Amino acid sequence: MSAHAATAHGHATHEHHDLGFLRTYVFSTDHKMIAKQFLFMGLFMFVIGGLLALLVRWQLAWPETPVPGLAGILTETGGVLEPSQYNMAFTMHATIMVFFVIMPILAGAFGNFCIPLMIGARDMAFPTLNMLSFWTTFTAGLVMLAGFFVPGGHAAAGWTSYAPLSSVVQYTGVNWGQNIWCISLFTMGIGSMMGSINYITTVINMRAPGMSLFRMPLVVWSLFITAILLLLALPVLTSGVAMLLFDRWLGTSWFLPSGGGEPLLWQHLFWYFGHPEVYILILPAMGIASEILPVFSRKPIFGYHAMAFSMIAIAFLSWIVYGHHMFVSGMNPALGMAFMVTTMIIAVPSAIKTFNWLGTLWGGRIQFTVPMLNALAFVSMFVIGGLSGIFMASTPVDIYIQDTYFIVAHIHYVVFGGSIFGAFAAIYFWFPKMFGRLTNTALGHLHFWPSFVFFNLTFFPMHIIGVGGQMRRIYNPLQYEFLQHQQHWNVIITIGAIGLGISQIPFIVNFFWSMVAGKPAPLNPWNSTTLEWTAASPPPHLNWGPTLPTVYRGPYEYSVPEESADFSPQTQPPRAVAGARRH
Amino acid sequence: MSGIGAVLDPPRPVTRRTNGRVPPPPPPTGGGDGDDRDREPRPRGLDNARLATMFFIGAEVMFFSGLISAYFVLRMGAAQWPPPLQPRLPILVTGLNTLVLLGSSVAMVRALRARGDHVRLVRGLALTGALGVVFLLVQGYEWARLVSYGFTVTSGAYGVTFYTLIGVHGLHVLGALAWLAIVLLGARRGRFIEPPATGLRACGMYWHFVVALWPILYVTVYLL
Amino acid sequence: MLNWWLPENVSSFGGDIDWLFHLIYAITAITGILVFVAMGAFLVMYRDRPGRRARYTHGNTTLEIVWTIVPALILVVLTFLSVPAWSKIKMSMPPTDFVVEVNAKQFNWQVSYPGPDGKFGTEDDTLFLDEMHVPVNKPIRVVLKSQDVIHSFFVPSFRIKQDAVPGRAIQAWFDATKPGKYEWPCAELCGFGHSGMKGWVYVHTPADYEKWAAENLKGGGTAPAQEAKPKS
Ligand code: HEA
Ligand code: HEA
Ligand code: CUA
Ligand SMILES: [Cu+2]
Repeated sequence: MSAHAATAHGHATHEHHDLGFLRTYVFSTDHKMIAKQFLFMGLFMFVIGGLLALLVRWQLAWPETPVPGLAGILTETGGVLEPSQYNMAFTMHATIMVFFVIMPILAGAFGNFCIPLMIGARDMAFPTLNMLSFWTTFTAGLVMLAGFFVPGGHAAAGWTSYAPLSSVVQYTGVNWGQNIWCISLFTMGIGSMMGSINYITTVINMRAPGMSLFRMPLVVWSLFITAILLLLALPVLTSGVAMLLFDRWLGTSWFLPSGGGEPLLWQHLFWYFGHPEVYILILPAMGIASEILPVFSRKPIFGYHAMAFSMIAIAFLSWIVYGHHMFVSGMNPALGMAFMVTTMIIAVPSAIKTFNWLGTLWGGRIQFTVPMLNALAFVSMFVIGGLSGIFMASTPVDIYIQDTYFIVAHIHYVVFGGSIFGAFAAIYFWFPKMFGRLTNTALGHLHFWPSFVFFNLTFFPMHIIGVGGQMRRIYNPLQYEFLQHQQHWNVIITIGAIGLGISQIPFIVNFFWSMVAGKPAPLNPWNSTTLEWTAASPPPHLNWGPTLPTVYRGPYEYSVPEESADFSPQTQPPRAVAGARRH
Repeated sequence: MSGIGAVLDPPRPVTRRTNGRVPPPPPPTGGGDGDDRDREPRPRGLDNARLATMFFIGAEVMFFSGLISAYFVLRMGAAQWPPPLQPRLPILVTGLNTLVLLGSSVAMVRALRARGDHVRLVRGLALTGALGVVFLLVQGYEWARLVSYGFTVTSGAYGVTFYTLIGVHGLHVLGALAWLAIVLLGARRGRFIEPPATGLRACGMYWHFVVALWPILYVTVYLL
Repeated sequence: MLNWWLPENVSSFGGDIDWLFHLIYAITAITGILVFVAMGAFLVMYRDRPGRRARYTHGNTTLEIVWTIVPALILVVLTFLSVPAWSKIKMSMPPTDFVVEVNAKQFNWQVSYPGPDGKFGTEDDTLFLDEMHVPVNKPIRVVLKSQDVIHSFFVPSFRIKQDAVPGRAIQAWFDATKPGKYEWPCAELCGFGHSGMKGWVYVHTPADYEKWAAENLKGGGTAPAQEAKPKS
């Protein structure tokens, strides 16, 4: 229906919202459309980041053999990856996964989708800024991808881009690739700043009547806290990246000792951003799990306030632990000791969360739906990843395992086992509301179970080879005698990784097929209590009809004794209080 | 049709200072975990624009803390500061220039207090902008002189920290001036005269931030 | 079994690290098993069955306090247990007269032994590429430098790792307890040649070391090296 036709039908009484294709699907200011845009972007980048990981894995399992399908691209070597290309592969794998997969999906897509709908707002506080935020991030993504096509190849100094390796062209031979890495992250920083300002303002100012802070669903809490972390952490990276560009372009010496610079300065700046960043990656997933576990246990979340406060605690503590990435960097060892103490402390709020999730399951009526399975996978895999973090937190142990595959195992248990399973859970859970259609359950199981098994097959053995001493970021483990005997693990891991990749195919099929041909979704398919399920599926522009929902109770009122239904929506006034007040 | 029409195409709700937020009716209380505090409509805090500006300033503070701590790291690492054979920074002129910039903040305060007085508002904003421009010009002049002495961004840690910190602040003044210009144009066309004038106030907040940052940089880079 | 666990430890402080490693392994394994058993049990016991209603509860303050305090205590104890090993390895140096300088560069370890004058950087130094020879059971002080980017001194069997940062001279030490030949990789990404940047550390019996030094070091390595001064 074009704008013209609508007018012809005489909707004179109210403003109409037929904005045409461009304004509806491309330059949309509607938070739900922007959420979908972030989601598509993130999923697309996930395929690229994943395929890069498979490149890495191929090289590690069968070093210096032609990678299938690459003979046409790497013509000079007949498909064999060169060391510099290997470095480029894992650098871009990690950069893409962290900045252009997890952040867009968790903070971008679900931040946009959940915040207004779950606090009962019609849109974000600044819809246009919201649109700009997406397009800035999108541009950053394009710039990052463009780096693959410049002479000299893409950045190859690791996702951490330690100076001076990254600050002097001769050290890696990469010129434009590293510049593009900097420019892209600079742009991304601006984009996510716009987003986070928007989220914070929206949560503070735009809540529906009755939606007090402690009636907000925990996923909104988590996104709110994530936004604050993003807002404060990314500018630090931005400043570091600007210095790096100065060094590269103007010949200055922020990080070069010969000109009075300090190489460790980059590490301090990077990790001061980088550690809050890893919690930016996990907090939304924690929120998502806290959302999904109660729904499918038909039970209120265990310890709502503890859940909210532990996230706040994590956010605070995340600023003072960053030095645990630098235990053996040459930083003052006394500082290392201080960072060990704070790092140990930051495990406590995670412990609280873990046990509260278990408490939520206890005595529930657990329904093993696909989102629930993914949320349970999140909890269990996060526990494994978190526990491996304790090894590194202990400074003496970290001396040995730093920069080994033990760290790589830790990374992937928290980011894939944690964040990505969290993202899957969220996609399956909110898909009906997002697209108005149900996903296919059989395909969902076909995605979940192989993913779960192959995930563990891929990443669990990394602990073993890490303890055996295999370093990360090495091109060919067979160059080392002490690693020869565990090469079979590398083969197993790679087979697992390929299986993990193939397991994503049912997901992709399910996602797109359900989007166009899934069964139409009812308003509230999971019998959930939060506000988004009171809007139409998918919710129209401005989300609700003329009146906004009014909130009468907390977000997790399942199986309330006096009430017959096993869920009591937030909009439903408590019967016992009709008229009278408690106290 | 009308039912569906109302859902798909609802009349826009009353737009107040925050878009689409209707004044909350007091909900009944109770219900498990919800707290009982929210019976009355919450007193409104800051409006969206100023709240967002505040958080934007928060991000800016982090950005500058990155730069300033980098400055201190390099400075602590140097054997002598300022390094020998490097020109001394123009403390006096810059000190006077600091007063100019602080003056612009005073002008801004007066503009913000204009309360319905169109002429005072426009004059105040114009004066603010003018002082900002003077500040930038003086800075630019001093830079040109320093460069002519051979002191550039590649002059070791001393050069790079000086030009980066001061230059980035200069860029922020420039940005704040651009924002101010937009607000000034709006004010001349009669906007921002009646409260709430959120756009004006947000701009004022940012201006004060950029001004307040300067003395810190001045003390760190020039005086310490 | 040993084959897929930690490489053999041959350093004086390696035992401290391995002990802590196994302690944490035990703690985390027990915690992990408890969590998974509880979770599995709940999933089975409380799976959805007709006619049951979930328990309506918002939490239990006592329980929550317990599961905050207990992990916190465990972690505090763990921290205290980690401190001695850390200060032994990184914060103090056993007195020794054996100092070598390792100068890392893309993509080699350059090892220098001082000559009879006991000073580094003079004519009579002896330089080796990618190999280091040390006597057994003697604390060895390593002065780590880098000419270009950051590298990392890593000898898995010694349980030692220390980054070499350009512009600094970082001190590290180890004390090997068993003669042999130990692989010495670089553990910090340092460019396209990072993989394969490695050397060997040869640990000799005192007699063998004397022999090696007499044959290979200028001045026969008789003079003890001077204590290298840490960079101020
Ligand atoms: C989502 C991301 C995420 C998360 C949540 C975490 C969480 C944690 N991380 Fe991790 N970390 C990364 C992502 C993440 N990390 C990445 C990407 C790197 C590598 C960067 C690079 O170099 O490239 C890294 C590296 C890294 C290092 C540096 C290693 C090195 O390079 O030498 C350290 C060191 O301390 C560390 C520690 C921790 C700790 C203690 C936690 C804790 O928060 C974990 C807390 C959770 C639990 C402990 C489990 C649940 C609790 C219980 C079941 C209670 C009982 C527990 C006990 C009594 C022990 N991490
Ligand atoms: C943040 C999220 C994230 C995610 C999701 C992943 C996902 C994966 N990672 Fe990654 N990784 C990091 C973050 C992440 N990683 C980081 C931060 C580092 C450190 C980098 C550094 O050192 O600088 C790292 C490093 C890293 C290394 C170490 C490299 C090295 O040190 O030399 C390895 C090696 O195995 C690896 C493997 C994998 C694999 C196999 C996956 C798999 O889970 C990927 C699975 C997904 C797919 C395969 C794509 C989807 C599939 C399809 C669309 C179907 C088509 C596929 C087929 C037909 C097979 N990663
Ligand atoms: Cu040198 Cu890696
Ligand atoms: Cu960290």
